[in-house]
Amino acid sequence: MEALTQLARGVPWTIALTLTSFLLGALLGLGLCALRLSSSRVLRALATGAVLLLRSVPPVVWLFIIFFGIGFGYVQLPSFLAAMLGLALITAANMAEIYRGALSGVHRGQTEAAIALGLSPRHRFQDIVGPQMIRIALPSAATFAIGLLKDTSVASLIGVQDVAFQVNALAQRSFSGTGIFVIAALLYIALSLPIAALARWTDLRLRAKVAR
Amino acid sequence: MSEILEFWGEWLPTLLDGLLVSLKVTAASLALGIPLGLVLALAVKAKSAPLRIAALIAVEIGRGTPALVLLQFTYFGLASTGLTLSSYAAAVAALAACTGAYTSEIIRAGLEAVPQGQSEAAIAIGFSRMDQLRYVVLPQGLRIAVPPLLGFSILIFQSTSLCYAIALPELMSQAYSVGSNTFRYMPILILAGLLFAAICIPATLLVSRLEHRLDRHTR
Amino acid sequence: MIQTPILKPGPRQDGPHPDHAAAGRPQPSAPVVRIENLVKRYGAYVALHEIGFELKSGEVVAIIGPSGSGKSTLLRCVNQLEQPDGGCITVAGQRFEGGKEHSRAALDTLRRTVGMVFQSFNLFPHMTILRNVSIAQERVAGRSRKDAEDRAMHLLARVGLADKAGQYPARCSGGQQQRIAIARALALDPQIMLFDEPTSALDPELGLEVLAVMRELAESGMTMIVVTHEMRFAENVSDRVVVMADGRVIEEGPSRELMRDPKTERTQRFLHAVRDR
Repeated sequence: MEALTQLARGVPWTIALTLTSFLLGALLGLGLCALRLSSSRVLRALATGAVLLLRSVPPVVWLFIIFFGIGFGYVQLPSFLAAMLGLALITAANMAEIYRGALSGVHRGQTEAAIALGLSPRHRFQDIVGPQMIRIALPSAATFAIGLLKDTSVASLIGVQDVAFQVNALAQRSFSGTGIFVIAALLYIALSLPIAALARWTDLRLRAKVAR
Repeated sequence: MSEILEFWGEWLPTLLDGLLVSLKVTAASLALGIPLGLVLALAVKAKSAPLRIAALIAVEIGRGTPALVLLQFTYFGLASTGLTLSSYAAAVAALAACTGAYTSEIIRAGLEAVPQGQSEAAIAIGFSRMDQLRYVVLPQGLRIAVPPLLGFSILIFQSTSLCYAIALPELMSQAYSVGSNTFRYMPILILAGLLFAAICIPATLLVSRLEHRLDRHTR
Repeated sequence: MIQTPILKPGPRQDGPHPDHAAAGRPQPSAPVVRIENLVKRYGAYVALHEIGFELKSGEVVAIIGPSGSGKSTLLRCVNQLEQPDGGCITVAGQRFEGGKEHSRAALDTLRRTVGMVFQSFNLFPHMTILRNVSIAQERVAGRSRKDAEDRAMHLLARVGLADKAGQYPARCSGGQQQRIAIARALALDPQIMLFDEPTSALDPELGLEVLAVMRELAESGMTMIVVTHEMRFAENVSDRVVVMADGRVIEEGPSRELMRDPKTERTQRFLHAVRDR
């Protein structure tokens, strides 16, 4: 029972870290995607390189670079902030790829019709292409967000007191046994259910209207 | 700059030792995990309901639990029941379980992508259910699953870095211990990151090229 | 609110929009579209070889010809969806030379002057039908939401679809979608309407309802360029027919004359082939 309350104390941290790093990353990803599609060859190459690098180095390594690497002798960030930054960067790279795939799924005729109507580039994106892109990106974004929820456990290694941190603390005190792990696993699965449900609900609502 | 290169030169062998451990753990996890994934994929499609439900639960728990928690379970959790695994064995057990759960979904999707007509043709020429699977469905389904399986293998290689948490002397642990000995975290962590990138970036590019090639062939 | 599904015949009887009256239509005899020596290339492939023709205000021109002849490319050059590589297009007094960059302002004016209807409708699937017709009025013409929606309802009534205003395009048949697309293109009060094979994606009976709307539009005095495979429309509704093949204009003339008595052997062959189907 005492173990359960300790585990529960990690839940707010896990949720907060998932939410903040996803939102920040989804926003940064939009910019990164724009760079990947920019007309400047240099910007395009830089963005492509950044996406590859961010996705090729494991999350632990990024978090350690930010927390210990920058922290030791440069700027010492609180562990939560360091974890959020690192995970947001990784999210940005993945979301940029998801947006890019979704953009190519929006029919070219949509842009052409918007041009023919004289809509400015900003309104073409804001009113016509953007909403359709988000609709297509939604399922992949939800899958990624569920993956991110599990990846936040890495933050426990730099001292964020999330669910994985509490599990580890309990496990080190040998009396806990294996039950605590099963509960932790179920807890993570339970936390992922709202994300999946939200994505399905939004998807159904949009699909009912658009029916494509 | 040259000073950093010198530092890197000094510690590169240590990190390469760690990289070798990471690669070994990756290979062992895949060698155990992918066959497990195949078994789970077939079990999820099995006729027997208890078998199907058991496989489904195993897959959902394996996919829903963070790999880090799986590692803590095989290393600390099992030890508390009296089954003490070395950090190497615990790492392979956890990552193989994770691989089994994820690859079962990949393989299942591959099998389901084989056109219905193929099974029907196999039935029509009198194949048993086993022969159908062995000679017709599996060869085609597994081929479809190859690119995503390779993509997943890259992720498993990356997640060996989590074994830092159970004191396995892989790449990440080595980098961290060099950092704490020399108090120079930044350069050594960057070198570790570069080593991961040096393997994962070419691998990613190769996999996406393979995907494009297969895409063109199947269209 | 006008509920008749059919456009009223006679020039501009539906009442010109304020914007339109101010624009001042060009002199009846002056060409409103002039295309000179137009060249379009895709790499080494030449899609248009020095095309030239003119269009007077109120005229309806049908462009016909085998597929791959450059008809759609030509149409798309008129509103600069494709940038020509050479030659010149003058639309309502505005010159667009090929191979040059054009200012945003010039392109904005061009696209308000020219409306376009696509083969695949290209309605915005995530917007209601009303919003499809009102969005450009708000964003481009700066009209208030209410004015834009009033005008949109008026146009939807003109194409006989006022009752669909609150629905999404996916709920409509292809013929209905194309009529909505026509209303959308009319919303900015264009002087010229471009139609890129507007009935090619439709079943014949659905094509008829679209052709009926187009015929009424032509009779109301709209200047139109129509790329089409509908030979009856070309013959009976358009004033002139332009025949293209291999990126060149091979023949042009008054519709009835040309369709009944084509001069070139290439046109005869083409007409023979399509009428045989």
